This record gives sequence, C-alpha cells and structure tokens, in this order.
Amino acid sequence: MGQFIQFAINGLMSGAIYALIAVGIVSVYKATKVVNFAHGYLIMFGAYFYFTFAVIIPGQDWAPAWLASWKPDWMVEMREGLSMFSLLGAVLDWAANVPRIICGLIGAVVCNAILGRVVERTLMRPLMGQSVFAMIMVTVGLISILSGSASLIWTADAAFVPHIAPNTPIRFELFGSMIFLFGADIVNMIIALIIFGSIVAMVKFTKGGVAIRATAEDQSTAYSMGISVPKIFSRAWVLASATGAVAGAILATRNGISPSLGLFGFSVLAIVLMGGLDSYVGCFIAAMAVGVLEAMTQWKMGGEWAEIVPYVAVLVVIIFRPHGLMGQKEVERI
Amino acid sequence: MINGNLKATYGADERVLNNRNKQMFVFGSIILLALFPLFADDYSVLMACKMGILLIAVVGVNVLTGYTGLVSLGHGAFVAIGAYSTVIFSNLFSGLPTGILPFIVVPMAIAVSALTGIIVGLPSLRVKGLYLAVATLAASFIVKFLIEQDLFAPWTGGIVGIDTPVPSLLGWELDNKREMYVLITALALGTMLAAQNLFRTRVGRAFIAIRDRDYSAEILGISLLRYKLMSFAISAGYCGLSGALGAYFFARILPEQFGLDLSLELVAALIVGGMGRTLGPLFGVVVVMLVPELIKISMAAATGGSLELARYTGPVQEIVFGLLLVFFLLKEPLGINQITDRILRSANRWPFARG
Repeated sequence: MGQFIQFAINGLMSGAIYALIAVGIVSVYKATKVVNFAHGYLIMFGAYFYFTFAVIIPGQDWAPAWLASWKPDWMVEMREGLSMFSLLGAVLDWAANVPRIICGLIGAVVCNAILGRVVERTLMRPLMGQSVFAMIMVTVGLISILSGSASLIWTADAAFVPHIAPNTPIRFELFGSMIFLFGADIVNMIIALIIFGSIVAMVKFTKGGVAIRATAEDQSTAYSMGISVPKIFSRAWVLASATGAVAGAILATRNGISPSLGLFGFSVLAIVLMGGLDSYVGCFIAAMAVGVLEAMTQWKMGGEWAEIVPYVAVLVVIIFRPHGLMGQKEVERI
Repeated sequence: MINGNLKATYGADERVLNNRNKQMFVFGSIILLALFPLFADDYSVLMACKMGILLIAVVGVNVLTGYTGLVSLGHGAFVAIGAYSTVIFSNLFSGLPTGILPFIVVPMAIAVSALTGIIVGLPSLRVKGLYLAVATLAASFIVKFLIEQDLFAPWTGGIVGIDTPVPSLLGWELDNKREMYVLITALALGTMLAAQNLFRTRVGRAFIAIRDRDYSAEILGISLLRYKLMSFAISAGYCGLSGALGAYFFARILPEQFGLDLSLELVAALIVGGMGRTLGPLFGVVVVMLVPELIKISMAAATGGSLELARYTGPVQEIVFGLLLVFFLLKEPLGINQITDRILRSANRWPFARG
C-alpha cells in the first residue's frame, strides 16, 4: 500500500507536467484547428533556451559574477556551521542560483514566444484557409527543421541545469506509510497546475479568451463579428510556445537536456487525443490518468514498458470513444 | 479538352501510356535503368537500390494516403514487420532448400504485414483524419518497442539487430549489390504498374470514392469497413515487400532503421512527389534521397573534408529535408508530378498554347 501511494503521487506529479504540455497543443487546436505535431520540439527549444540563459550566459567572462552564483555576505554567514543535508542548506544552495534561474526562465519564455510567432507567421499564416492536412503536414516538416536546428546550434554537451526550486528531500507519513518526495518536483507540479489553471480561466473569462472560443466555433463568423482571426492565431501560437518554454525548463531539470526531449511531444499528443482535442478538462484527466498508469507500469513491469503506456492508452480509448474522453463530436455534412 | 491526342479506338484510350510522350518517357527510363549498372560505380548502385526499396514502400503509402485519403504516420512499422518476418521465417524454415526459400518467405512476410495493416486499420472505421494519423503513429511506436524488447530477442535480435540471410532465387545467389539492383528495380517497376492498374479496377475506384467523400461513397453502396481495411492491407503489403527486400539487401537490420524517421520520410516523399499519382512516389523518392546526398557531397567539397565540420552535415540534411516538405506544401501542394504534367502537356500541344 505504501508503495502504491508513493507511485501514485509520482504519477500525479508527472501527470501535471503532461497537462502543462498538453495545454499548448489544445490551445493551438482550439484557435486554429491545427494539431501541432512539432510541439514536443518547441518544448525542446524551450529547454535549450533555458540551458542557454541559465548556464551558458552566466558562465561567460563578461557576465556579472552575481548572475552565476549570488552570495551576499549574510548568506555566507548563514551557510556556515550548517550540516550537509539540512533543509536550510538546500534552500540556501538554491538561493545562490536564483538570479540565473530567473534569467533562464525569462529568456526561455521570451525566446520561445518569438520562435512561436516566427513559425506562425512564416509557415502557418500562408496556409490559412487551406486544407487542414497541409497545415498538419507543415508541422510534421517543422519537426525536422527544429530538431536539425537544435543540434546545429547547441553542439555543446548538455551540462547540469539548475533546479527551479530547492531540491530538498521531503519525508512524511500518509496512511501509515512513509512517502518520499523531492521539493523541486512538488514546486514543478504547483507551477504546472497554476499555469494550466490560469490558461483555462483566461480562455473562459477574459475578452481574448472569448475571442479564441468564438474562432474555434466558426472562423468566418468570428471574422465578421470583428474578431481579428490572424491575431488570434498568432496569440495561440505564442501562448503555446511560452507555456512550452516553462514545460521545457521543468523537463530539462528532471530528465536532462537532449534532442530526444522532442519525442515527449508525441506521448503528450497521444494524451491530448485521449482526452479530446478541444477539451481542457478531458486533457487534464487524461494527463493525470496516463501519469499514474505510467508510474504503475514502472512499478510493476519496469521502466521500459512505461514509455508505450500513452500509446496503448490512446488506442484503447480511441476505439471506444473516437473523439476522446470529453472531446466534442464533429458534425459532418455531405 | 484539347489535349493533342487523337484516339481512334477505345483500346487506345484505355492504355496506360496513352500518348507518345508518356511512352518515350517510360521506355526511355527503363532503358536507362537497364544500362545504369553497366557504367555506374558501386556507390551509385547502392543508392539506386536504397531508392528502389524506399520507392516500393512509398507506393504503398500512396495507396492509403494518396488514393484512399487515410493519413498514416506509422508506415515505418509495416516495413519493419516485413523485414523482421523475412528474417524470422528464413531462420524458422532453414531446413528447406535455399533456392526456393525466398518464394515462401517473402509472400509470408507480405501476408504478416498486411494482417498487421488490417489490425492497425481497425480504428480507421471510427476515427479519421488526424485521429487516425496519431493512432497509426502510436501503433508504430508500439511495434518498434516490441521489436526492441529482450522478451522477443531470440527471434528479433533485440536492440542490437539481427543478421539477415543472403537470398537465393532457384540457385541464383544475389550476393552482390548489382544483382540485388536487378531484382529491386524489376520489383519496383512491377509494384508501380500494379498500383497504376489497381486504380483502373472496381476496388481502386472505390478507394478514390472514399477519399473524395467517405459518407457519399457509403451511400453509393461502397462498404467502408471492407474497402478501408483492404486499402490498409494492400498498403501494408507493399511496405512488407519493401521491408523484405531491405532485409535481403542490408547485411544487418536494426530497430532504429524503422523508427519515426522512416515513417516521416515515406510521407514526405509522397507529398514532395505528388499524392494520388502513379509517378508521384518515384519523383518524391528521387528528391528525398538525392538532396541529402548532394548536401553531403557539397559540404564535403566546401569544407575540404575536415572532420571538424563534418558533424554539421547531419543536422543540415535534416533541416533541408524539413524545408523541402514545407516548401512543397506551401508552393506546390500537388508535388513534382504536377510540374512534370505541365511539361508533358505543353510538349503534347506544341506548337500551340501551353494552357
């Protein structure tokens, strides 16, 4: 039982990150009816941008010393006399990294937002009004372009990336069994949930969100009601790649940086289809379910089998519910 | 339509090569292909063989995506199943005389591939378009994962791959690349002709009707269940043949050869060449295979063969591959076949307006 709870909690934490990635795919789909196959590679770019701004730039000679490692006098004083693994020590270690974490996050979000906008302007905008097949295939072509560019730009071996939050181990008792967690994972989960929640709230309650939903409902009607559809398109792409940057930064601290981060996007694509392409709630449920299922598979069958869990799950769900768990059924006219 | 061709009989109108220019193009190409191994060097023959193998698979994707309108991003898996079944059955029936082994093993590999195609195609009855693309993608990830498992390693060799047998057709050992070239070219031409003729039959017409509008097709009395699954089976069968030839051609097969890259390459070749056209796969494969090769040669010439810069070749090839796909989707969605059509048409009407 104790292990079950432990793995379930681990699963929920990775599920939250899946949800954060899924929100990018769903936002783009809702606004533009395009499923972005290259979203995983946008996330990979986010991870590399985080690496650039949090590790490479502070490491340069011209960068100020406080950026690489922030150690004011009072912090050094507090650090003295602490034991190796104390909670305060971990927090202080993290505090020294705060400037470069902030620099990394801001840099990653800004650069990725620019990247998303460039992609939208150069590749998606010329295809507006064309068949959905062509648009989707363009995102497939984008996969090769992005992964090739990443290995062209960042040839250096990926090094350590600073955790976003103090990575202190936490133990507590739940239902009479010990649970063991890392602080950074909990903070990652909270960040993911906050971003997910605020995007859902934005789409639901703000004026821009209503415009996105109107465009999703019917593009030409939205156009004639005075909504600038091209603007909605680029907003959706910018939103998706900015959230992707945060997801990329989190993934980089969890799994390390490599071009194979892009493959993550495909399992999230499977999750999104499972939940229903146009439903935030469905995707959230699917992401959590797949996260937990993956953790359980890891526990019972070993880590390797966990990697195909999303694909098996999506095939099973699609056969019984063709539009996902909570997706809207498309009405077709002949 | 004034197309400059006088047809005096129905027979002449129904021919595959229904005008002089097409005949000259096709027969000229066949003669060139026949003469090719006599003066080409080993590397060119190797490239030609790889193109032929890829071509057969792309013809298969064309049946499904180009003619039936079902998008698949997982056809690399069918090629993998064809290749691995060939090796596994060759090892299983190693007691039989080697001369007749390929005649048993290859049809069985095609059958296994087609059967898998039917299973993967089952969701196509309920989902379409994008959902189907993701379903096939998921299926291909699962197939590749199963091949890599230690559980099946005694048969598949697991992640390190497995050695492949040398084919022998009734005592003719195909142990060098030139002999393989003959077999591959003949089969590639055969499959293209078969695909061309398929779409002059009842089944092929049904596929096209489904592509154009599946509900309308159903109202016309075309069973979607039957024909969609048939399309999946035929398409997977072609890919299985391609995989079987690949297994005979390469000395060793590895699971990585059949990953996402292969599936994307198949679809990209089809889009670049022209979907739903007989010669589309041919043009697409030539471009998709030759362009990276040209980049490699020109990069080697530009950098003077320095190892320092050689590692940029792979990423540049990848980027150009993506740009090719995007370029054709944006500028020439009907592919190279549309360009050659225009040229052929203007040749036909010469000296009148091109139109």
